[in-house]
Formats: sequence, C-alpha cells, structure tokens
Amino acid sequence: MLYSLVYGLLTSIPDLPILEQSIRNLFYHVSMWFAMVAMMGGSFGYAISFLSKEDLHKDHRSVALAQTGMLFATLGLTTGMIWAKYTWGAWWTNDPKLNGSAVTMLIYLAYFVLRNAMNDGRKRARISAVYNIFAFIMMIVFIGILPRMTDSLHPGNGGNPGFNSYDLDNRLRLVFYPAVIGWILVGTWIASLRYRLRKLES
Amino acid sequence: MSIEYYMSKIRPLITRFFQQELRNSNALFSLGLYLLGITYLIYLLGGNNAADSTWNTLLWVVVFFGTVSQASRSFDFESGDYFFYFQTLIGPGPTIIAKLVFNATYMSVLSFLTWGLFSVFYGNTVFSPLLFAAGLLLGCIGFSVVLTLTNGIAQRTNGNATLSTVLAIPLLFPILKLTSALNVQAMVGVPFIDVLDLLGALAALDIAIGLLAYLLFPYLWQD
Repeated sequence: MLYSLVYGLLTSIPDLPILEQSIRNLFYHVSMWFAMVAMMGGSFGYAISFLSKEDLHKDHRSVALAQTGMLFATLGLTTGMIWAKYTWGAWWTNDPKLNGSAVTMLIYLAYFVLRNAMNDGRKRARISAVYNIFAFIMMIVFIGILPRMTDSLHPGNGGNPGFNSYDLDNRLRLVFYPAVIGWILVGTWIASLRYRLRKLES
Repeated sequence: MSIEYYMSKIRPLITRFFQQELRNSNALFSLGLYLLGITYLIYLLGGNNAADSTWNTLLWVVVFFGTVSQASRSFDFESGDYFFYFQTLIGPGPTIIAKLVFNATYMSVLSFLTWGLFSVFYGNTVFSPLLFAAGLLLGCIGFSVVLTLTNGIAQRTNGNATLSTVLAIPLLFPILKLTSALNVQAMVGVPFIDVLDLLGALAALDIAIGLLAYLLFPYLWQD
C-alpha cells in the first residue's frame, strides 16, 4: 500500500500526449473503483448469506462493507473529477462511466436511507438485504454492460485506445496491480473495524 | 407446484386488481388528468417545436412520473386484514407475478396513451412505430418490476410513500437509458439489425430483474 502511494509518485512513466504526468493518477483513481466494486461485491455476498442463514452478524458485515465502498466511491469520484478537469477540460462530462458512478452512489445512498427508515433489527436486515441484492445487480448492469454499448471518453471504449494496448506499460503495471490489491486490503481492514464497532454498539 | 396451479391462482388475482382499479375512479381520473395536464403544459411552454431527442426525453419524463405515482399505490391493500389474507391464502409467488403483470399492463396503457397525446399535440415524428412500441413495452415491463419491488419494500417500512420513490429512481436509470436510446433510434429510423443488441440487452435485463424480484419477494413477506 505504502509502496504504491510513494512509488506512484516516483516511478518513471511512459510518454503520453495530453495525459503526461497525470497518468500517475491511474494508481489512485482506477484502483479506487476496483476497491469500491470489491467492497460492494462483498456487501452483496453477505446480503445473500444473511437471507439464507438469518445471522445478524452477516448483516453488520454487509453494511460495513457498503459504507467502506461508499468511501471509495467518493474518493474515486473526487480523484476522477480532478483528473477530468486537467485532461478533458471539465469537472463533469456526460460519459457512461460517470453516469454509472453517480447512479451507484445514489443507489447506495438510498440503501442507507432505507436502513434509517426502520428500527426493528431483524426486519430491517432482511428488507435492506433484499434491496442490496437487487441494487448490486442493477449497478453491475449500469457500470459493467451499458458503457460497453456506447461511446466514452474513458480508454477502451468507442475508438479510444484500449486499457492494455500502449498506455499501460510494464512500469505502470508494476505499481498499478499492487495498488489495487493494497486498496482492497485497506478497504477490508476499514470494513472489519466498522463491523466490530457495530457489533459493540448492538 | 405445477404451472396450472399457479395460473389458477394468478388469473383471478389479476382480474381482481383490475376491478379494484376501475372501481377506484378517483385515482384513475387523477392519473388521466395528470397526463392531459402535463402534456398541455409542455405544449404551452413550446414543446411542439421540440427536436426528436427532446420529444423523446419529454415523453419519458411524463411516463416516468406517471408510472411512479401509479405504482406508489401498488401495495395499499397490503395493510391489516388484507395482508393476512394474501399471506395465508395466496402466498408471495403468485402475488408478485400477478402484481407484475397488472402493473406492466397498466403502465403500458399509460405510456401508449402518452404517446397518443404527444402525437395529437406535437405531431408524431416516429419513423418506425413498431420499434418504438417495442421500446415502450420493454421499458414498461422493467419499470413495473423495479417499482413493484421498491413499493413492496417501502410498504414493509410502514408505508413511507416518499421512500419508494427514493429507492426506485436510481434503479430506473439503467432501464430509462436503454429504452430512450432505443426510442431515439426508432424515431430516426435505424435498420432493425442495428438495434438488435439494444433490444436484446433490454429484454435480457427485464427477464433478469423479473426473476430476481420473484426470488427476493418472499423474503419481504416474512415477519
């Protein structure tokens, strides 16, 4: 983790037009989204296992992971907006990936609103697990399938250079993959702290 | 459980839902008035000069709010004795299917009515009506799945009406995005082969979320 933070700033980078030094943001911005999807995926998994086993601990884990995922979404959005301002010239563009992330955040905000609307622990857990599962599938459709069908400013879509062709060379990969793994581990750690906190509170 | 057994439970339920709706003329008229009023409002504000994509956007906004307000009454019956009756006699499976079919039909009628009103006031510029109708229909099926499930959820939180809208809106975006893309293509008149992947994606999405709603609904019913 520390390695990717520090080395991300120091490592040599390939020469790219327009992007230039800002390619370093790859280590932060893209890995945030990887971590977010991992967290939401974990939350989805625990929601399913709650419905099948009716164990409230699973519900606590599910919420903790969703909250951590939300944190990564916020970070990913912020880093992405700054990057977009300097490379595309605007904070926000009508791009399928941006729409996808906005909708994802709205979905999980709605999930938290739903949780706050109920008091009874077991019923709340069951109903929010139902929403969680439905929402995750919709989110995967929106961020995973729709962008592939339309043009995007992001690499890999609509005639833009692919992710793996020339912009991600081996030097970047050396930092990028550890960064993804590192952030996912940090996310798991934060989520486990939140989970333990919830367990203490209840 | 066999299919015949299921059908024997579902069919009377659907007829019952329709009878209930027709008897409740107040809600029916208010929805009709909403459609007429909002279409005329857009006309007054210059909607008759709208370009194709704007025409389509306006149509979907009107349909969107119409369906959301229609669906918000989905589970009104689910309070008190009625809920007990449904829970013991019919069970969650047939109830959700009947409700989905009812809502999808209702919303399709609503959206075709809106299309008719739009044609009267702003002129019908749709190049291939069949494709446009398919887009409306598939969109309404998806809408009915999402809205029925979120209304079921909201109902279980003691009838918080705004909550169902909050829950539904972000989930409706993927469907809305696909259908409006399809409908814009239908207005321009793109060859059928070129929109096959959009059509397929929409149909697959509808089927997937329909199955998901059917699987998840029983969990909402336990107390």
